[in-house]
Amino acid sequence: MRNSFVDTIVAECGHRQDLMIVSGDAGLGVFDTLQRDFPDRFLNLGVAEQNMAGFAAGLAMAGYKVFVYNIIPFLLYRCYEQVRNSICHQHLPVVLVGTGSGVTYAPAGISHYAVEDVGLARTLPQLIVISPADPEEARAAACYALTAEAPVYVRLAKSGERPIGREGEGALDITGPRVIRPGADIAVLFHGAIADEVIAASDALAALGVQPLLVSIPMLQPLDKERLYALLADMRAVLCVEEHFAGTGLGSLLAGLRLAGQGAWVLRIMGIPDGSITKIGDCNRLRQHFGISAVDIRRAVLELRTGLDHG
Amino acid sequence: MSDCPAPPDLPAIARTIRRDIIELAHRSKSPHVGSALSCVDILIALYFDRLRLDPWPERDIFIMSKAHAAMALYSTLAARGIMSRELLAGYYVDDGTLPAHLERFSAPGIEASTGSLGHGFSMGLGMAYGFKKKAVARQVFTLIGDGESQEGSVWEGALFAPRLGLDNFTAIMDRNDLQGYGRPNEICAFESVREKWQAFGWQVFEIDGHDLALLSRALRQPAVGKPRMIIARTIKGKGVSFMEDALIWHYYVVTAAHKEKALRVLQ
Repeated sequence: MRNSFVDTIVAECGHRQDLMIVSGDAGLGVFDTLQRDFPDRFLNLGVAEQNMAGFAAGLAMAGYKVFVYNIIPFLLYRCYEQVRNSICHQHLPVVLVGTGSGVTYAPAGISHYAVEDVGLARTLPQLIVISPADPEEARAAACYALTAEAPVYVRLAKSGERPIGREGEGALDITGPRVIRPGADIAVLFHGAIADEVIAASDALAALGVQPLLVSIPMLQPLDKERLYALLADMRAVLCVEEHFAGTGLGSLLAGLRLAGQGAWVLRIMGIPDGSITKIGDCNRLRQHFGISAVDIRRAVLELRTGLDHG
Repeated sequence: MSDCPAPPDLPAIARTIRRDIIELAHRSKSPHVGSALSCVDILIALYFDRLRLDPWPERDIFIMSKAHAAMALYSTLAARGIMSRELLAGYYVDDGTLPAHLERFSAPGIEASTGSLGHGFSMGLGMAYGFKKKAVARQVFTLIGDGESQEGSVWEGALFAPRLGLDNFTAIMDRNDLQGYGRPNEICAFESVREKWQAFGWQVFEIDGHDLALLSRALRQPAVGKPRMIIARTIKGKGVSFMEDALIWHYYVVTAAHKEKALRVLQ
């Protein structure tokens, strides 16, 4: 998804003079085409995240559409205050492009994980938050960000994710929920690269004749609640799956809506348990460890189904 | 008789701005009166001499990074006629117009939202780079405090700006030698701050920050391919003798008695 996002931006550089891509010394190789074809549009601001974010704000104030590329903790956490005051509060059209969502970079360690970024980004009301699940959503996110007049945060994993869309799906609208597979009674909501686990679980469930509704939610802020409620109107249970702390991501957002009296469905949240992460392993191993792998999702859907049958 | 307008009486303007600051500080009971008084002459040198403000859409940019001295900027913008004087009544009051720290677009001439130290400096660098890329002749000036110069983001920018040859960027340090809790050099290894900026590749000037002629000259030095740092040695609370170089006036509230005494001094 990283490549489809970056390729979309680079292609646009030929049409627009106002695009600038800055990096905090991250993404070696990612911008080779950009540096070859549009060398004046790329600037490495070094290992200096606070200045990177403030500088990007200043560039936007001088009339540029700025994309800031970095690994998520060094895009949002280290320089949160610059993002908050200089970019979001001033409502500047800066696009924060982060890689390494969740535990993508495992076993790099907690310094490189992004398991609370959705919660953090949601503390900034002006910030549009997009978490693409596949290269198509990443491309659509890039198109959206290119014309957005507000600050945008795009949460990417890395490269190599598979497309998850249906055949003949039509134009992708990332501002609302995206149905990946139709189904009844139980809806599985997710965002980001955990999509591959959800799809694998869905394949396994199909073999058992179980077909939950699969919905990707690429835009987490603002959340299109109306379209989401409409989609979930006939659902009896909702399973939210995310590669993010369970307490501060999409699941917590849904729990808030549920508490506010929206929806009659049973809600189950599957995320990374809130707590310290010291387990060593690659992304797949950690997903298993945290209980958000395809096997766990499959089991959770079956449990929900049993519960509904006996409820 | 000459047809040319008489040059502005800058010492008189300085007194007006300082009186306005005292009035604002008293009426609002807000802190930082000493911080505002120390940079008045710097702001006069910028707004009454150096900044190219016409045509307005192509104006030079001034970013007040040490935004706790916002009273000084508001009063200067009012004195220069960029902002209406009536707006000063809306400073730091319920449902007012001018916040304690700076808010972009809250009034004409407020170029950036600042308040957390070290932010305006990086924004200024980004703007200067943008203007350079667009090949427009706009200059960017940023005022930082000496306390503010302890922020990591300032040194990140300091390390980076020379590589881009940002000679359209000038930082001015209001070197009043008092921060919130004492003298910078007692709080950290602040000195030799001039040599530090020079070593980072900046064109550095160190001058008396209350001498308008020296400020004007330093602000008009020809570009040499480097960003500029003007270390302006100032006196916190300048112009009001009992506030000068006194730590308490970083935070103390200006009472009615203080105000009367200060305004007498500023006649």
